[in-house]
Amino acid sequence: MFHWLEKNPFFFAVAVFVVIAFAGLIEILPNFAQASRPVIGTKPYTTLELAGRHVYIKNSCNACHSQLIRPFKSETDRYGKYSLSGEYAYDRPFLWGSKRTGPDLMRVGNYRTTDWHENHMKNPVAVVPGSIMPAYRWMFKNTADIDTAFAEQLTIMKAFAVPYNTEIPMADGSKVTVALADTVEGARASALEEAKVITADMKDQAVKDAVAAGTIPEIVAIIAYMNSLK
Amino acid sequence: MDIATLQAYGYFFFTGFLVVVLYSYIYHLYSSQKKGIRDYEKYSNIALHDDITDPPIEEISKNDEIKR
Amino acid sequence: MDNRPLEYDYTIAKWFMLTTVVLGIVGMLVGVILAWQMAFPAVNTFAGEGLAEYTNFSRLRPLHTDAVIFGFTLSGIFATWYYIGQRVLKVSMAESRFLMFLGKLHFWLYLLLVAAVVVSLLLGITTSKEYAEFEWPIDIAVVVVWVIWGMGLFGLIGIRREKSLYISIWYYIATFLGIAMLYLFNNMAIPTYFVSGGIGAWYHSVSMYSGTNDALVQWWYGHNAVAFGFTVPIVAMIYYFLPKESGQAVYSYKLSLLAFWGLMFVYLWAGGHHLLFSTVPDWMQTMGSVFSVVLILPSWGSAINMLLTMKGEWQQVAASPLIKFMILASTFYMFSTLEGPIQAIKSVNALAHFTDWIVGHVHDGALGWVAFMIMAALFHMAPRVFKREIYSKSLMNTQFWVQTLGVVLYFTSMWIAGITQGMMWRAHDEFGNLAYSFIDTVSVLQPYFTIRAVGGTLYLVGMFLFAYNMYKTMTSSRRVEENELQNASPMGA
Repeated sequence: MFHWLEKNPFFFAVAVFVVIAFAGLIEILPNFAQASRPVIGTKPYTTLELAGRHVYIKNSCNACHSQLIRPFKSETDRYGKYSLSGEYAYDRPFLWGSKRTGPDLMRVGNYRTTDWHENHMKNPVAVVPGSIMPAYRWMFKNTADIDTAFAEQLTIMKAFAVPYNTEIPMADGSKVTVALADTVEGARASALEEAKVITADMKDQAVKDAVAAGTIPEIVAIIAYMNSLK
Repeated sequence: MDIATLQAYGYFFFTGFLVVVLYSYIYHLYSSQKKGIRDYEKYSNIALHDDITDPPIEEISKNDEIKR
Repeated sequence: MDNRPLEYDYTIAKWFMLTTVVLGIVGMLVGVILAWQMAFPAVNTFAGEGLAEYTNFSRLRPLHTDAVIFGFTLSGIFATWYYIGQRVLKVSMAESRFLMFLGKLHFWLYLLLVAAVVVSLLLGITTSKEYAEFEWPIDIAVVVVWVIWGMGLFGLIGIRREKSLYISIWYYIATFLGIAMLYLFNNMAIPTYFVSGGIGAWYHSVSMYSGTNDALVQWWYGHNAVAFGFTVPIVAMIYYFLPKESGQAVYSYKLSLLAFWGLMFVYLWAGGHHLLFSTVPDWMQTMGSVFSVVLILPSWGSAINMLLTMKGEWQQVAASPLIKFMILASTFYMFSTLEGPIQAIKSVNALAHFTDWIVGHVHDGALGWVAFMIMAALFHMAPRVFKREIYSKSLMNTQFWVQTLGVVLYFTSMWIAGITQGMMWRAHDEFGNLAYSFIDTVSVLQPYFTIRAVGGTLYLVGMFLFAYNMYKTMTSSRRVEENELQNASPMGA
């Protein structure tokens, strides 16, 4: 009976498939419902933040920066509270990264400011002497893709019931609502409002002018995203 | 009995089953080689005699089912 | 049919050999650029400030990994399949017009896909998931190409003359099935353009999984993409090429059977070791650790089988650079399948994760095992498909030593870098404060980054030697007769 498999490619393939699929079934399926429940205080991204997240992904920031604080004293000392599963409930895709060439960014919004990011992205060495991070000057020129971010928000609201326009309880007992516009024009307008708040703290005149004229450079979006990481 | 319990049982018994199969497989391979029922090592020659003109180690034939 | 005797038809194997060499050089060249960028950040703007967006580290990094995995390695897998497949099944591609057509279609679609991937990654169109960066239109094309390969694979098996499937064929079947399953599940995504009613970029999609689940699926994929891309098909190669080149039958066919089924069962469980100390459930992390250690057994089963195949024939290792490549490859295989489980042990992982030690591990596997084996395979195939002897044996020897030195420099420097950084991250001073700021732990690595870049550059030089040797073999080497091609490959001085 045993040698039979190597002569019957079809059943051989079936056997291989059963054996390799088994691990996936046991490992991945059971946890799905449980792990995706948000912890208190986790809220979905706004349009501008999500556009910034897309800039982060576009430039593979996750190739060098993790967003996962492990439960060790040395890590919580350096980066803040260790990560909880529910905090990632609205992260599609996850951005844990696999390499820390630069520091973890899970809670970077707690200890870095708009101003800091602006200087740092323009010239990292000027802010952190010895840094090997490249400058990201094109982010000051490229325009952020607000429409795609809005399309993604609509999609996740429809497909995964992400709670936009819904009251979300915060840790301190208050309630927060993350608004989502009905139309793409509305989304652009609200993103621009958010962008104006960011640029108020920025120095780059070209960026300020662009936002005043109604376009949002990538740098504004990515700063909005990084400020939201807490 | 929730899905997690089911999976745990499923995992346990399937793994146990595979271990039994694997060990009986080992036993079968070595004992049938020893008793001379079947020479497994000849299949290694598939790689060594692989010109298109070489005769196959085991020909595909129509009356397989009868043979065993 | 005319009266010419039937021959194996290597047309498609030849084409894929070409892409293996070209994409290998591309992928490794990008890698070398990345390595120098880490040592000297000024290299990020080597093409000028205007092009910095396309030449900086973060934009190039996915291109490096994907070019090496899906360009170089996959081409090598396909090239060897279209060679080994015919031979061990004893059936020629020329016997079936349909399979020949599928093969050609497979190649050209693959080439189109490679072009699409290069362009989209340079533009920053990516899903961010490692080794699964492609957006949905490319994913669909990948599935089509894969299915075409699968049809060709099972089609050829269907018309075979040899009743039993040789060991290598098992591994190719597993490669096909494994990658198909993993790729499909990991890339499940919803195109936002259609759901939102035509807003934004048409190619954008959002993952079906969120957060921790996404991470789980990704590393179940990521780890096993290594399994079914970097291990299983490469084992398929060595099970054919080492016995064939040395003229020795595999030491134990029975052991190869056991190692195969062991590997199939155990490998998939080990993915969890990428997520130790993360928010993935504990039992799964432990399972990942335990199975990673168990994985040593089937991996070494194959590797030891290979080394024992050379029993009593070790003079061949000294005599033939081709055998040298393969023996070094299986040694590196043993080495990195031991190193991997060590890194998967929880306490070691706490130190090693996120550091360059992991990068070192990947590269002693990829450079020492995968690339060495693929190059050996191409060297063995070249005289048989071009009917010419290998152009230069001494060039092969030179390449062997240059690249070996490169790998050694690479992994030793990355070990030191990784462990140094890991230790510095966790160091506390006498008052319980962190002893080093993050930038201290980066600056200290500069010499190791430089050594690594030198190692990588040496390896790339070896690739150029390889390409030159292959080119000369193809075009101007001495023609050989069929009877010279039995076992050891003919080589010019």
